[in-house]
Amino acid sequence: MKEYVLDEPLTEGFLKFSEQFGTVRFLDQLKKPYFSFEKEHFISIKGFVGDSNVEVRYKKEFQDLVADYFHLMLYYYREGEPGISKLKGLEDSIREKMNVRLDTV
Amino acid sequence: MDPALQDLIYLNNAATTWPKPPEVLQEVAHCLRLPLHEPGRTTGNGSMDYPSAARETLAALFQAATPEHFIFTQNATDALNMLIHGFVKKTSEPFHAVTTELEHNSVLRPLTTLEQDGAITLSVVPFRNNTVSLAAIKKVISPETRLVVMTHGSNVLGSVQDIKPIAEYLHANDIFLIVDGAQTAGHIPINLSDIPVDAFVFTGHKALLGISGIGGFYVRDPDAIAVTKQGGTGTDSRVLTHPSDMPMRFEAGTPNYPGIASLYAGIRFITSTGLDVIGKKTSDLTRRFIRELEGDKNIVVYNKHPDLPVVSLNINGIDNHEAGFILARVYHVITRTGLHCAPLVHERITGGRGCIRASFSYLNTRDQITTAAGAIREVAESADT
Repeated sequence: MKEYVLDEPLTEGFLKFSEQFGTVRFLDQLKKPYFSFEKEHFISIKGFVGDSNVEVRYKKEFQDLVADYFHLMLYYYREGEPGISKLKGLEDSIREKMNVRLDTV
Repeated sequence: MDPALQDLIYLNNAATTWPKPPEVLQEVAHCLRLPLHEPGRTTGNGSMDYPSAARETLAALFQAATPEHFIFTQNATDALNMLIHGFVKKTSEPFHAVTTELEHNSVLRPLTTLEQDGAITLSVVPFRNNTVSLAAIKKVISPETRLVVMTHGSNVLGSVQDIKPIAEYLHANDIFLIVDGAQTAGHIPINLSDIPVDAFVFTGHKALLGISGIGGFYVRDPDAIAVTKQGGTGTDSRVLTHPSDMPMRFEAGTPNYPGIASLYAGIRFITSTGLDVIGKKTSDLTRRFIRELEGDKNIVVYNKHPDLPVVSLNINGIDNHEAGFILARVYHVITRTGLHCAPLVHERITGGRGCIRASFSYLNTRDQITTAAGAIREVAESADT
C-alpha cells in the first residue's frame, strides 16, 4: 500500500476516465465525495474528489508489473480520449506478462 | 497536544490505547532521563528499579502472591510463543492440545505450526452465544490432552470467557491452561489467587495503558515451561548455562526499561483511578455507542452486549475497509477494519470478509462516542443511496 500526495487534487473527470479501466464506486452524499477504483489483478485506489491524497494498493502477486499503473493512469488522463487507447494498449501488454506468469506457476 | 490531533476520535484501543495518561508519559521520560538501575549489572545509584516495582504492581493488580513469577516480554504474542513452545519442548512427546475459535493469530499460528510439525494434534472448540463454555471444551478433551490455550476476552466480540470453572476442571485433570488476557487485563478484575490458571498472558500497550513493546506472562509453576531463550542476566556470569532463578529464568538480555516504566505507571494509574470506575465508564461508553447505532437497518452490530468496550459492526453496501477509510479521513474517527488477526471468529460472523471494530478506553469521552456513531450513521446513509 502506498499513499500518494498528488500535485493537483483528483477530479470527477479522472473518475470518468478511470471507469474505462475498472470499477469505480462514488459516494457523493458524504461531507467529502469518496471514490474507490478496483481493477482485478492490478490495483485498488481510495480517495476523495477534490483531495490530493490517495491510497493505492497493489495486488501482491503482480506488484512488480503494476507498480507504475496509477502513474500511467494520471499521465494518460491528461491526454484525454487518445490516452484511453494508449493505456489500454499498455494494459494488454501487462496482462500478457501476467498470463505468462500464471501459466508457468 | 498537537493541534492536528485535537479533533481525532481514536477508537482503536483494543489494538493499542491512545492517548496514554500523562503520568505514563512522565514516567517514561523520567526513566529515560536517569541512568538505568540494572540489578545485578550496573551498581545501583538510587535510580528506580523499574522491573521489580512493575512486578510488584502486576502481582497486586492480578492478586498473585509471587511477583517474581511475572515475566516481561515484548508483547502478548511473544509471551504466548514462549509459553506454548516452552510447554511443548518440556513435554517432549506429541500430545493433544485444545484452543478455541475466538483466538487471535498469536495463539492460532504457534499452535498450527506445532500441529504441522507433528508436535501436537489440535482441536478448535467453537463458540456459541459469543463465548466458549466448559461443556464445549469437555467435549474435545481426551486422555491425551495436555494443553488448553484460550483467550479470556475476544478482541472481536468483546465477550469474556468464564475461565474459573474451566480452569478448575483442567487443573483437576492435570491439563495445563494458558489464558490470553491481552484484551481483559486492565479492563476487568482478575484474581490469579482465586482462578487456577497455569499461565496468564498480558500486554502493556492496551488497557494497561503502557507503551508498545512491553508485555509478559505470569506462570504458576515455572518448571512446566522449558526455557527457549538464553543469554545475559547480570548474574552467575561464570556459568555457561542460563540461570534457573525466577524471574531471570525466562528473561535474557537487556530489558525494555522504558516499556516497563510505562507499564508500572499505567497500572498505578488504573489502581489509583479504580478498576471499577474504569469499567463503569467504558461500559457506559459502549452501551451509549450501541444505542446510537440501534435502529439503523444498514448497520449490523455483531454483539450488542459485549463485556468489554469492543463493538464490531458492518455497514450494509460498503466494504469495511472503505468505511474505515472514510471514517478516518472525513470524520477523523479511527477504527480498526479487517479480520483483527482473528480469522476463525470472522469466518463465523462475517463469512471471512471482516468488519469495523470500534473499541474504547477510559480516556474516551461521551461526546466522542456520540460524534463517532453519528459519522457511522452518515456513512451508512450514504452507502444506502
